[in-house]
Amino acid sequence: MATARKRTPSKPEPEPKPQAPTASSSAADPPISPPKYGAILKLSCFFLILYVYLVARHYEIDPELKGSILINAGLSLFGYFATVRLIPVASRYVLRRNLFGYDINKKGTPQGSVKVPESLGIVVGIVFLVLAILFQFSNFTADSNWLVEYNAALASICFMILLGFVDDVLDVPWRVKLILPSFAALPLLMAYAGHTSIIIPKPLVPYIGIEILNLGWIYKLYMGLLAVFCTNSINIHAGLNGLEVGQTVVIAAAILIHNIMQIGASKDPEYQQAHAFSIYLIQPLLATSLGLLSYNWYPSAVFVGDTFTYFAGMTMAVVGILGHFSETLLIFFLPQILNFLLSLPQLAGIVPCPRHRLPRFDPQTGLLTGTNDGTLVNFFLRLFGQKTEKSLCILLLVFQALGCCFCFLLRWLLAGWYK
Amino acid sequence: MATARKRTPSKPEPEPEPKPKPHSPAADPPLSPPKYGSVLKLSCFFLIPYVYLVARHYEIDPELKGSILINAGLSLFGYFATVRLIPVASRYVLRRNLFGYDINKKGTPQGSVKVPESLGIVVGIVFLVLAILFQFSNFTADSNWLVEYNAALASICFMILLGFVDDVLDVPWRVKLILPSFAALPLLMAYAGHTTIIIPKPLVPYIGIEILNLGWIYKLYMGLLAVFCTNSINIHAGLNGLEVGQTVVIAAAILIHNIMQIGASKDPEYQQAHAFSIYLVQPLLATSLGLLSYNWYPSAVFVGDTFTYFAGMTMAVVGILGHFSETLLIFLLPQILNFLLSLPQLAGIVPCPRHRLPRFNPQTGLLTGTNDGTLVNFFLRLFGRKTEKSLCILLLVFQALGCCFCFLLRWLLAGWYK
Repeated sequence: MATARKRTPSKPEPEPKPQAPTASSSAADPPISPPKYGAILKLSCFFLILYVYLVARHYEIDPELKGSILINAGLSLFGYFATVRLIPVASRYVLRRNLFGYDINKKGTPQGSVKVPESLGIVVGIVFLVLAILFQFSNFTADSNWLVEYNAALASICFMILLGFVDDVLDVPWRVKLILPSFAALPLLMAYAGHTSIIIPKPLVPYIGIEILNLGWIYKLYMGLLAVFCTNSINIHAGLNGLEVGQTVVIAAAILIHNIMQIGASKDPEYQQAHAFSIYLIQPLLATSLGLLSYNWYPSAVFVGDTFTYFAGMTMAVVGILGHFSETLLIFFLPQILNFLLSLPQLAGIVPCPRHRLPRFDPQTGLLTGTNDGTLVNFFLRLFGQKTEKSLCILLLVFQALGCCFCFLLRWLLAGWYK
Repeated sequence: MATARKRTPSKPEPEPEPKPKPHSPAADPPLSPPKYGSVLKLSCFFLIPYVYLVARHYEIDPELKGSILINAGLSLFGYFATVRLIPVASRYVLRRNLFGYDINKKGTPQGSVKVPESLGIVVGIVFLVLAILFQFSNFTADSNWLVEYNAALASICFMILLGFVDDVLDVPWRVKLILPSFAALPLLMAYAGHTTIIIPKPLVPYIGIEILNLGWIYKLYMGLLAVFCTNSINIHAGLNGLEVGQTVVIAAAILIHNIMQIGASKDPEYQQAHAFSIYLVQPLLATSLGLLSYNWYPSAVFVGDTFTYFAGMTMAVVGILGHFSETLLIFLLPQILNFLLSLPQLAGIVPCPRHRLPRFNPQTGLLTGTNDGTLVNFFLRLFGRKTEKSLCILLLVFQALGCCFCFLLRWLLAGWYK
């Protein structure tokens, strides 16, 4: 259930193909490969065009709200460049302190013996926090309720980054890893001043007898569990170059589109504010994650560490909770849910669970073969046959995107039917 | 200006006295048991007057008193949690090669012992959990209080994160200087109080106005206060137990000041501000005492920049949100003196070595002051050679005297300048 990038003993990892001339680094250490701007641009422009169209032209959005969203977008763009600038710097420090791993999926090739810097999620986390803190200064319409939620969100996300980094450095036992997100989610649970009732789907009302059910503390328990789930599910759906960051980018893009559609479709200012709140946190998440993906995309020049997966999962849980769209968020997480269900037998100990549940890599052909481990990665390989790491990752990300589209379709079909 | 516990090459450090080994299940050599006796002696001097003031001396609104006592109970639990977790964390920390050698024991057997570093992370995490849990018990919290409290949590948490990143990655000192400014930003944003200062009465005829609104300059002052508190504790270091000890003394002084202000005032908003400080400093004091149980001479663990940044930021936060930052600065008198003494070397005018520690003589076990500009060396040059333990006690007594002087000053000047 861990990533493939733990500090495994000597596994060879050479350069798989002639790389572009190494980056202009001033340090004495071998610099990391330059950021893969091309791949990032291709990946994001499909989403960006759609998003910019929705924000700028398609919907009639209150100009003040639109202004805030654009300020936040500008800040996030700056965050992208800051992340891209800082990752090579941090990599030198991280390597110096022996925080690295070998790429298991390149074992047997020259790139399998390269020391890949780990835990670069810390750069993403810190840049994100600075962006999120600075954004507060620009939001003049903030009332004290908004500030409480925002600061509680910051405290939760910051605590999660701290715990994630402590885990990366000290390698805490997995039982502790499971409960860490619950602690980090506590400021959020405390600050959540929204309703704790759910609307019973219309078809079920005749059977249950009531239209609205107030869950009270059970709702808060659900929120806590959501945080635990989001963080750990991203953490175990991993093992290929670019998979962890890639899934985060896809889900974040879907969240943003969902938010902007809800803002456009609604007239209720409080409802709009909730989705705007989510936008203010997800735009920086998307931008800084794209910055990390520039280095982490296949072939990975850096690894992200539990710091990143915990940070990303917690941020998404936070916006799902405070934006009041956690059910939609869960459907975006469909591949993660599938992966979790596939993993259950091994996680529960019913089936033996090896340290890494990765596919088998053949250095001669460069292809991955699926093992019998219960992960979505292996399942796809068993279903679709052998694949290269890059094409498998792209396949899984396309599956993620399709899942999000399915969610939008579902919401459109069921609108008015169950709510 | 760093602590004496950076990852310096081979310096010997043996056990100074035979200690019974504690019951540790791991294969690593276990830590020395916590020095409950010293900590009890140190804290009961403070605890007795504090408990008396809270419980009997002042007429405090029962709801407020209840909150303070709940927080105190939570903090006590935090003390035991910290004491319980430090040995566990030490094993993980040593396994990842986060350790240092005790430079002030070089030449003796204890100078070659690997002392686990950065145990401030345990203190930080326990503190955060206590502070988060306390919110659930505070039913009188209005949204203003929640904003300040969450902003405080965010600032302190960010500072712990940056401190731990610094301990692990060893960031350059210029970066270290500005880190606290970033961590203080949530605080500056949430600060909804007045940005005015009251001109001391004797100066009013010269300046012409009674109240001066500083606006953004006040916020700049707040940011600088955060930078100062964190870094000044960081450089007043180098002896076993000095960093945690000074934190404990100042925290105790802050608590006594808070409770005195609550008792002396009838204004509920004023009382709330000082109560806010109590809610954060009681856990700070308790968890720091837990760390001191292992860090007091001879240190079984080192605290790392994680602790000094965390402690400094927490104190800056309560000083700002409790509106008593001038009093806080007077509590920090030894740190200010140390900073002034250090200025020539920090500015580069005088050459600045990596460690500005006194010279240790393994034969006599005494420290001799060098010409470095630190309070530690100044005291040694003034009072002659001393053992590490007695010097540390001397410096902590000086810290406590500074705090008493502050109380005296406030009493003398009450009514005169405000």
